[in-house]
Amino acid sequence: MKYHIVQLGCQMNISDGERVQQVLEGMGFVPTDNEAEANLLGVIACSVRQKGIDKVYTMVNKWNKSKNNKNLITFVSGCVLPADREQFLKLFDMVFPMSDLPDFPNMIKQYGIVTPAGLQSLDEGLKDLKIAEPVSANPKELTLAPVEPITGQKQTSLLRPDAGIRDFWHISPKYGSGFEAYIPIQNGCNKFCTFCAVPYTRGREVSRPSSEIIGELKDLVNNGYKSITLLGQNVNSYGLDKKSDELSFAELLEEIGRFGDDSKRDFWVYFTSPHPRDMGDEVIEVIAKYKCLAKQIHIPVQSGDDSMLVRMNRKYSMEKYRGIIHSINRLIPQATIFTDIIVGFTGETEEEFENTRKIMEEFKYNMAYIAQYSPRPGAASSRWADDIPKDVKKERYHKLTEELMKHSLRYNNNLIGKELKVLVRGKDRKEGYLSALTEGKIIVRFASENESLIGEYALVKISSAVPFSTEGELVSIYEQSSSMAGSQA
Amino acid sequence: MTSNNKHKLQAIRHLTGSTYVLEMERRGMEFEAGQHILLGAEDNIHKREYSIYSGTKDEQLEVLVKEVEDGMVSKQLKKISEGTYLEIEGPLGFFSIDPELILAKRKFLFIASGTGIAPFHSMVKSIPGLDYTLLHGVRLVDEAYEKDTYEEGRYILCTSRDDKGDFQGRITDYIKQHEFDKDTVCFFCGNFNMIREAMNLLEKKGIPPSQLHAEVYF
Repeated sequence: MKYHIVQLGCQMNISDGERVQQVLEGMGFVPTDNEAEANLLGVIACSVRQKGIDKVYTMVNKWNKSKNNKNLITFVSGCVLPADREQFLKLFDMVFPMSDLPDFPNMIKQYGIVTPAGLQSLDEGLKDLKIAEPVSANPKELTLAPVEPITGQKQTSLLRPDAGIRDFWHISPKYGSGFEAYIPIQNGCNKFCTFCAVPYTRGREVSRPSSEIIGELKDLVNNGYKSITLLGQNVNSYGLDKKSDELSFAELLEEIGRFGDDSKRDFWVYFTSPHPRDMGDEVIEVIAKYKCLAKQIHIPVQSGDDSMLVRMNRKYSMEKYRGIIHSINRLIPQATIFTDIIVGFTGETEEEFENTRKIMEEFKYNMAYIAQYSPRPGAASSRWADDIPKDVKKERYHKLTEELMKHSLRYNNNLIGKELKVLVRGKDRKEGYLSALTEGKIIVRFASENESLIGEYALVKISSAVPFSTEGELVSIYEQSSSMAGSQA
Repeated sequence: MTSNNKHKLQAIRHLTGSTYVLEMERRGMEFEAGQHILLGAEDNIHKREYSIYSGTKDEQLEVLVKEVEDGMVSKQLKKISEGTYLEIEGPLGFFSIDPELILAKRKFLFIASGTGIAPFHSMVKSIPGLDYTLLHGVRLVDEAYEKDTYEEGRYILCTSRDDKGDFQGRITDYIKQHEFDKDTVCFFCGNFNMIREAMNLLEKKGIPPSQLHAEVYF
């Protein structure tokens, strides 16, 4: 029996998809890239833009047509708004929030699907699921909800899609890479930014127990993983939902940092995406203190104008944000800084946009993910007029991109002549080249056809730069005892 | 503590033809004055955010709702009968007063348009001895929702479409014509355009941005 999953959206969805794959392969399903030969088709949906949801409707209609010719079951999970979930219940065989993933084997069994695991009792099948885990992360027993009567469709709580997230986290993922991995540490959002639908699709902030996070991270490091990203919608709000019963985000990083020092292993730990409201100096101080905590910080600003920040319901002022950047510059001067910005949000005046352009100049970001505003169904701002003309949004987008390119090029030019430690990630688009990232996530490409370098650290001497990337020459495979600090970019 | 969802509606208190207070079972839900909840009818997939109107020590949980034309939640809630269960998620949000500011006996200026008065109603009911002035901007005098809650002289009604308020004109007109102590801590709730304009005016009058806190109603 073969399965095929379409994953849409952010790193969180990719990470969720890794757990879905683990459950399916634990049941004996085999992955296929060919949709046509799959018996089980699923999509991990994303509601950030209407286009993403439209894609899901197109896909399921196509899949449903092919049901005339073969036995096929379909499912959808991920970020789905309540109104879409209602529609999906009519189109998909199974619709469930990610928190119900531990119950997925039960749901599939209700369809009478015969798989190697399905031929055994359900409990036996789940034993296989645990054996199949590629990296054990202190797995706890999977708790399965009682089998519900077969209704053909399954609907779960519409109001609290995060209710069973803790069981979901007990499932070890099937990592998509042998050297880079995501670890979800927190799910949901309490911030209610007016442009964002996440609070309505993923529910409230829930923190994963720190013991599980550290267990998963240790296993990854012991298995040679070199780049690990802690994930959460508001990753640095970690622990706030548990009051004093759980570590704070800074304390979690401290634990990881101590493990990094003790392990004598070489790895970089990143996190995304933090919210400026909950970003204190204690987090920055910990990053500065430990070698394994990557000196790269992604801190979304969204707008450089206080008035727009109020309209976006971001809950911080530019004064607060400026303080964060100053702390990063003071405590980790070598850190690269990334951000997210929306241009053309409802009512954005020229003056408000100009304030955003000014902060690009002031903070000299290494990278900014700039989005032209489009209303996101379900978000509060979708009920407001989308009153900035497309060509104005486009013009503002280009202005900011030009500003960003200028700073990125200046920074990258300063790297020329330096030997940097990089993590080789794969073949580059440029023939005969490999692509790598520095600790600060600056792209470095270098001539080599030695694919055995992929997943390894290397030393590369930078020879040229363009905005957003650099080119260099391979010096050597990086040895841990090397005198290079490796944190210059 | 987070509520576990279903709260029985005990009564509806109609304040105007389109604005009403839902009185619900509290069921021990703890919250800070100024926070909001997600609320909807039990059978409605759509939920909306409403600031909590009642005080932290009140027996019931209340929200102030204005019926929105074509609204998917506010219209339905108005017709719901007593004894029906409503679904609640929360409390949520960060629009509350830092206890240190209360201990320091700071002066507060609350600025609300329309039903944006709800979190301030909760704050005033919850925090005894609060040194506040509440500016409430509405169109007509009958929108002065339960103004007797507030101590005499602390509630200033700004009416833009009649002359029966304490001040005739918009809140921003009031701000333009008055001076405020620069140590005043200001909280804004309501329509975004009012908030933006009022914030700019107060900043120009010397109140630093760190003393301006806003909750936008949408």
